[in-house]
Amino acid sequence: MKLLKYTIYRLLQAIPVLIGISVITFLLANLGPGDPVSLMLQGQEHTEAQVRAIEQRYGLDKPLHERYVTYMAGLLQGDFGRSIHYRRPVADLMLERIGPTLLLVLSAYAFALVTAIPLGIIAANKRNEPTDHVSRIVALFGVSTPSFWIGIVLILIFAVKLGWFPSSGLVYPWRSPDSVRGISSYPELYYETLRHLLLPMIALGTLQMATIMRVERTQMIESLQGEYVKLARAYGVPERTILRKHAFNVAQLPIITIVGLNLSTAIGGAVLVETVFNINGMGRLFVDAIAQNDYQLVMGITMMLGFLFVMGVIITDISYAYVDPRVTYGESD
Amino acid sequence: MAVGESQIESGSESVAEDDDVEARVGWRYTVAQVKRDTTARWGLYIVSFVLFVAVYALIDSNLSRLTFGHVSNYRFAQLLPIFDHPTHIPPPGEGRAHVPPYFPLAEQSWNPLPAGGTLEHPLGTDRAGRDYFTRIVYGTQVSVFVGLISAFIGLLGGTLIGATAGYYGGRIDDVLMRAVETVYSIPPLILIIVFTVFVGGANIWYAVLGVGITFVPVFARIIRSRVLSIREMDYIEAARAAGVRDRNIILRHVIPNSFAPVLVYATLQIGVTILIVAGLSFLGYGAQPPTPDWGAMLRTAHGYMHSNVWLSIWPGIAIMITIMGFNLFGDGLQDALDPRIND
Repeated sequence: MKLLKYTIYRLLQAIPVLIGISVITFLLANLGPGDPVSLMLQGQEHTEAQVRAIEQRYGLDKPLHERYVTYMAGLLQGDFGRSIHYRRPVADLMLERIGPTLLLVLSAYAFALVTAIPLGIIAANKRNEPTDHVSRIVALFGVSTPSFWIGIVLILIFAVKLGWFPSSGLVYPWRSPDSVRGISSYPELYYETLRHLLLPMIALGTLQMATIMRVERTQMIESLQGEYVKLARAYGVPERTILRKHAFNVAQLPIITIVGLNLSTAIGGAVLVETVFNINGMGRLFVDAIAQNDYQLVMGITMMLGFLFVMGVIITDISYAYVDPRVTYGESD
Repeated sequence: MAVGESQIESGSESVAEDDDVEARVGWRYTVAQVKRDTTARWGLYIVSFVLFVAVYALIDSNLSRLTFGHVSNYRFAQLLPIFDHPTHIPPPGEGRAHVPPYFPLAEQSWNPLPAGGTLEHPLGTDRAGRDYFTRIVYGTQVSVFVGLISAFIGLLGGTLIGATAGYYGGRIDDVLMRAVETVYSIPPLILIIVFTVFVGGANIWYAVLGVGITFVPVFARIIRSRVLSIREMDYIEAARAAGVRDRNIILRHVIPNSFAPVLVYATLQIGVTILIVAGLSFLGYGAQPPTPDWGAMLRTAHGYMHSNVWLSIWPGIAIMITIMGFNLFGDGLQDALDPRIND
């Protein structure tokens, strides 16, 4: 019951932030020196009447605050407006493109967690030994290397030179196998998806891996020094069990928070990685929308990504509260 | 951290412990720690090297000939225009005579040296015949200054907002922190691109400002939490009782006393800044092509990825080394200032 209360509290807390995001996005898109009408006409010859017509059609003749209210009213009904470039509803475009991005980001996280947690534990356990130094150096490279460059290098080595993996595109596992050329069954489809996903996943996941590993290492070191570990040792509990049960469980809590907070870096990274690997996700859609000055689409995507991040943080906060009984649900303090 | 611990153990009286705390946050203590810490030392070496290269590129006009294909007389006074290109485009008939020949690498794309590898062009030349090594050297300038400036903008904005919010508390605190949280909730790269393109029009200065703005929230949070603890200190109370105005209390007492952890964070943030700006330039919204910026060079090289591999490799290595330097230095500083993590 308390948890439900906390969930509702966190969701309510998100409302002003979401409104704030919409205000910032709306102002940036509408106050800039670029005038939407001239962007739409893109240097074509036009008459005054045409300009008026466009302004009226998109409601641009109204004052800013009225336009904002109209936009928000639409937003609440799931109407993100129409893309100027694609001449389609923004919501439809985003729905089409969000799948690949989610697939990419989630698999990058999976890669990061699966590699970072064992590495962090080993590093903490073998502190100041060669293994520790190696994993710390790996983490240092991870936080210092741009994801898109990792992508480029991976393409150069594994796609161009060795030819093991495709260098671009993504096969969507939710499509039917017949829609993809040269594939007839589901196992083949999933195999192709994996082959396409592997390089971008590593490119995007490396930074996450490095940050998670660093936190895991510090947390494990701290938790291995805890009183309960000393007590367990005194009782003669084997070191392996201590590592696996006593120290491990406590050390995982901050990881949850890191995963949530890093979501914003991951989304930014997805924009770059999608560009390098030619994946038609939200990131590419955003880059194209910016290039086309499609301000309705840009607003929609920015709102959507902000929303995703806020939700991600809330979900991690709630799962943190669920896992850790010590969390006070922000009431007592 | 043997020093710190033994000090704590020896200082059994509370007075001695207070002295110890004082000693731990002082600059002299920090410098001593940095000297002892291998990580920090190596970070410092790399950062110094990168800074040296950046400054060297400013004053060596021969480099500019190789980089831009013509001589332009860079002086420190001309620091500002370096990010933008118009000044580098030579008037017709001038300067182009110096353009070095293009060394085609297409036949040996995995060979870093141009055909008949020369000492004059250790990393070969790009498609326009410009020496790649000098362009990388020039790129240091752009990255380092962009990184420093935007981290500074974030630091400045964050300090002002965080200090104000923390000091006044109440409603002002609520409003400011909600605003900060909102900015924080838009993924930085997205916010920066929207800001740069819609407000500035793909100009590196707007990109720098945009990056700075996205860093305001983190700095504001750190400063605020520091200020919250400092606000309750006796000397602030004393200043208030003496009738010092709020603004002066914040500027003279609160901010200086909460600065150390923020400075460490700023060092770490410079690396992130360089990372983001490289990404921006790679997408085409940071430095524009004639400017020898690493991200922009990678963007150009991306088009020739299959014919010349190395054009895509060198700028990335340069980015990596630079960021690594700042990260190592920042990590070392953090260890030096936060004895908890150490042995």
